Amino acid sequence: MNMSYLLSATYTWGQFVPVFCLVGLAVLLMLADAFLPRIPKQAFPLVGALGALLTACFMIKGEYANSFGLLACGATGICLLMLWDYRSVVYASVAGGESDEGSSELASLLLIACAGVCALTQARDLVLLFVSLEIVTLASYSMAGYFRRNQGSIEAGVKYLILGAVSTGALVMGIAWYFGTTGSFALHSAFVSRALCNPYLCTGFLVSLALLLAGAFFKVGAAPMHVWIPDVYQGAPTPVSAFLAVASKTAGFVVLMLLSVPLGSVAGDTPELVRPVVHGLAVVAGLTLIIGNLGAIGQQNVKRLLGYSSIGQAGFILIFFVALRPTLFSDVWFYLFVYGVATLAAFYAVAQVRMQRGSEELSAFRGMGRTNPRAAFLITVLFASLAGVPLTGGFLAKWSSFRALLYAGERWSGMTPWLLPIMIVCAAAGFYYYFKVLRAMYWEKQEEAEEPVRFSPLAVALLTVSALALLAVGTLPLLLTGASY
Amino acid sequence: MTPLSHYLIFSSILFAVGLAGALMRRNILVVFMCLELMLTAANVSLVAFSRAQGTEGVPVYDAQVLTLFIMAIAAAEVAVGLALIVAMFRARRTVDSTSLNSLKD
Repeated sequence: MNMSYLLSATYTWGQFVPVFCLVGLAVLLMLADAFLPRIPKQAFPLVGALGALLTACFMIKGEYANSFGLLACGATGICLLMLWDYRSVVYASVAGGESDEGSSELASLLLIACAGVCALTQARDLVLLFVSLEIVTLASYSMAGYFRRNQGSIEAGVKYLILGAVSTGALVMGIAWYFGTTGSFALHSAFVSRALCNPYLCTGFLVSLALLLAGAFFKVGAAPMHVWIPDVYQGAPTPVSAFLAVASKTAGFVVLMLLSVPLGSVAGDTPELVRPVVHGLAVVAGLTLIIGNLGAIGQQNVKRLLGYSSIGQAGFILIFFVALRPTLFSDVWFYLFVYGVATLAAFYAVAQVRMQRGSEELSAFRGMGRTNPRAAFLITVLFASLAGVPLTGGFLAKWSSFRALLYAGERWSGMTPWLLPIMIVCAAAGFYYYFKVLRAMYWEKQEEAEEPVRFSPLAVALLTVSALALLAVGTLPLLLTGASY
Repeated sequence: MTPLSHYLIFSSILFAVGLAGALMRRNILVVFMCLELMLTAANVSLVAFSRAQGTEGVPVYDAQVLTLFIMAIAAAEVAVGLALIVAMFRARRTVDSTSLNSLKD
């Protein structure tokens, strides 16, 4: 019993300063909403965005350096800016368009969910992991169903709630069995290897690990738990879909990483013990790749397409967990960064098109190559990066995923022969479905009566920055390898 | 004293009932109750394990504290969930899960 006290996780208040700042800002915004009715509602997302981006700046370097928290805060800041730009649709969906009443809680909820992700990155034991993950989840349920007059949004909220609660149940049961087999909540390799070595505890521990992974797979959108993703992304308000696609997915991968740290160190000493876990992960990664990439092919709704695309990209990230390389954290961070930049900007573009055409179908993008060539070019860069075209950041990300698979093949026999063909087919399928958007923009004509789509200055600025970032990351790989974190 | 295995079997049955109900029932309210059953099953296991891991009759209180956290979060989940279900009833006049069919491929 002494061992569990020596190894139990300890925290300092200082670690959580960014979390407190985010929650404090969210509470302040809620109070201001209730007691200062004269403040225009559009100020709330802007203040929230400022707060989230400022917190992100503090996470780059120094005392609060936190690479995954940085991703989450940056994504939340951009989602809040998107929310501000999207306000006409928000007002129409919340209060019927006559007033802006009741539209400002969304900003507070986004900040609270972001604080949950930041707290999660600090977790070293299952209690904090569970509580912070639930903060993200509960805030996401209410955000997904926020447009309560809109059938799609309500349906997305209820579906997310039911499936999310099943995964919470699995996660909690996994935590209980982790405690039962190791005697501690701390995620430490000493407990893991002791439980795996003991023939009486091994089965119970593997069950607990499977349940914990199921909880993480739900957030990530991996194969058996991916069912909610297309529906929720399609039905939820677009800024919320963007948040779920980037920040909430980051939370899922942080959970996976926290679980894989002790597994990785056990694998370094005695690989035989973790072989079943790694092979299970490989099967999940393969299934996720197939379902995500092949499911996206037939989609006509761009938000749904991005949902399937996010499942497929999660499959590529899961390969890193199969390999369990020492560079796992930086590999996952880089992939999530490239994916996140492109996905946020793509959702931003969808929101702009939705505001003017009232539709998120592929057909709403028709003719944009002629009527708005600048926006069309920026969107082209984003989708090229998602597909993994060389000279964009997406190519390097996919490339590192393939390299991780080769590493995994050397380490665990019998992995490459079936996983590599799946990855190649799925990467090729990506070219097809991402380019459907480009085909709509460049090869199809818009109807005569339709107004050309105009992007707001903020949208153009953000899309330009994103596209430039993706091109810079793709063309200056030396710069990045020099500055590895 | 009741052996640990009895508690674990009971909690596994509770969990299985909850999971089966969540996957098979059509009424969202019933599904929601089944989800709470799953959390309760985990709580039972946690308390049983906290006894079993303890020494000299003193349980490991960490697990029991987590049980309180789980209850608090389950309560918050109920608050959000029931609000969503009420909104769904207002929008569709039904709480049947088969009516959730406007978003599909």
